[in-house]
Amino acid sequence: MTERLFTLAVWMSAALVAVVLVWVIGDLVRLGIPHLSLDFLFAAPRDAGRNGGIGPILVSTVLIIGVTLTAALPLGLMAAVWLAEFTTRGHALGKAIRLSLDVMAGVPSIVFGLFGNAFFSIYLGMGFSILSGGLTLACMILPVFIRTCEVGLAAVTDTWRQGAAALGMTRTAAIWHVLLPAASPAIAAGMVLGIGRATAETAALIFTSGYVDRMPESLWDSGRSLAVHIYDLSMNISGGDTAADAAALVLITLIVLFNMLAQWLSDRWLHRRLVA
Amino acid sequence: MINMRFLFVFSALMSMFVHSALAGQRLTLTGSSTIAPLVLEIGKRFEQQNVGVRVDVQTGGSSRGISDARTGLADIGMVSRVLHESEADLKAHAIAVDGVSMVLHRDNNIDTLCNDQIRDIYTGKIRNWRELGGADQQITVVNKAEGRSTLELFLAYFGLRNSQIRASVVIGDNQQGIKTIAGNAGAIGYVSIGAAEFVEYEGAPIKRLRMNGIQASTAQVRAGSFPLSRPLNLVTAGEPDELAQRFIRFAQGPDVDDLIESQFFVPLEH
Repeated sequence: MTERLFTLAVWMSAALVAVVLVWVIGDLVRLGIPHLSLDFLFAAPRDAGRNGGIGPILVSTVLIIGVTLTAALPLGLMAAVWLAEFTTRGHALGKAIRLSLDVMAGVPSIVFGLFGNAFFSIYLGMGFSILSGGLTLACMILPVFIRTCEVGLAAVTDTWRQGAAALGMTRTAAIWHVLLPAASPAIAAGMVLGIGRATAETAALIFTSGYVDRMPESLWDSGRSLAVHIYDLSMNISGGDTAADAAALVLITLIVLFNMLAQWLSDRWLHRRLVA
Repeated sequence: MINMRFLFVFSALMSMFVHSALAGQRLTLTGSSTIAPLVLEIGKRFEQQNVGVRVDVQTGGSSRGISDARTGLADIGMVSRVLHESEADLKAHAIAVDGVSMVLHRDNNIDTLCNDQIRDIYTGKIRNWRELGGADQQITVVNKAEGRSTLELFLAYFGLRNSQIRASVVIGDNQQGIKTIAGNAGAIGYVSIGAAEFVEYEGAPIKRLRMNGIQASTAQVRAGSFPLSRPLNLVTAGEPDELAQRFIRFAQGPDVDDLIESQFFVPLEH
């Protein structure tokens, strides 16, 4: 009897999660599709976003994510390697850094936004720009990315390290050719989490990359991200709801595409190293 | 061999880093989220008529507009209220007028409230619509977040302090307030008249309350007879420079009346 109940509960929980997801996406598809067209994807917004499209906003979003990943990936991977390979269990500095990363991972995004505004925009003089928005997001996703990669590296069994040492590989070569490729699923997972969080972010971007919905000409221009656009349309613009639904549908598609790309890249780049 | 394709992509990326401010004049405005969408549209029209000029609009609330205009982070601040005495160092340039209306859910059978009753609701003395002759339903008091100029206008008009208010929900932007009230039959709140009027025509289940017997409509705001109204200001620290001055004159002129109306505000008399 308990066995049956437990099985039922497990099935119901899984079904409930699936239903919620289908409901959300179904709602967006139903409300957003009528407003969606090729023109919507490429045209500039008109009448505060009620009409026209999201062309410049898509470009800004992609540039912001690009800056974020360019800054966060190398820094995050190296920090994860240091934590996993260069510190021992009781290492005091390692413990302190892990703790501060975990604290930072729980900091609300608006705090990163205010920090980014004060540090990148004002102190470093980047103003409202895609660059300062992207760097703020990099700060925001680094903690989770580093910790995910570190756990992935730590999960590689020691026999691999010993094998590499027995073959006379240097530590650098072992990390580059054996350990990082072996940890590639975790690295991909970290990227997916980071990209998801960065693409969906509004609070950290309103005061850094800003509100301007013109086509950006350089990384020093202010550019509105898709999430900021959706927030403004649904919370600040009367009559902006249909455009917001269509933009939200594009945002979800974008996140799925980014995730597939991250998965594919990490598979290709890291896997080839392991095999070759 | 150096990969030419890589070199091309790399140089294209690097060129993105080059500052484009060298290209022309730039005007930065920050402040009220109520005014930002309007000024964004005005800015686009201004850019079309003045080749080489760029108008960057940022949001964040009136308080931000004040402080950014002072520190010089913005050339012009956007402030959706009258300037206080403590802000006499700034110069205000009105571009339009907006009215604030008390809003209820459409199913609420109350049609008029006097100022004392509204005060009692917001200070928590009246907690159920039954006490005002309505249905037996708890009142959901919707208040605006600190720093919003609608809040200041509301407090000043009713002679209240924010610490006296017993709010059930605290909201930021107009549209968020409208959604909160439309989704809760016992709610009372206050939002921009233009925005409320528009969503009502669109079929949202809300209604505007009369104030002192005067209908809450954009027509009454234009006539200057509606008590709860506010100017939408562009503010500058001292005299604006040539470009800022030109932009302000353009925003105050008749060429943007259609833009002001399409954002549900009321243009000035020219």
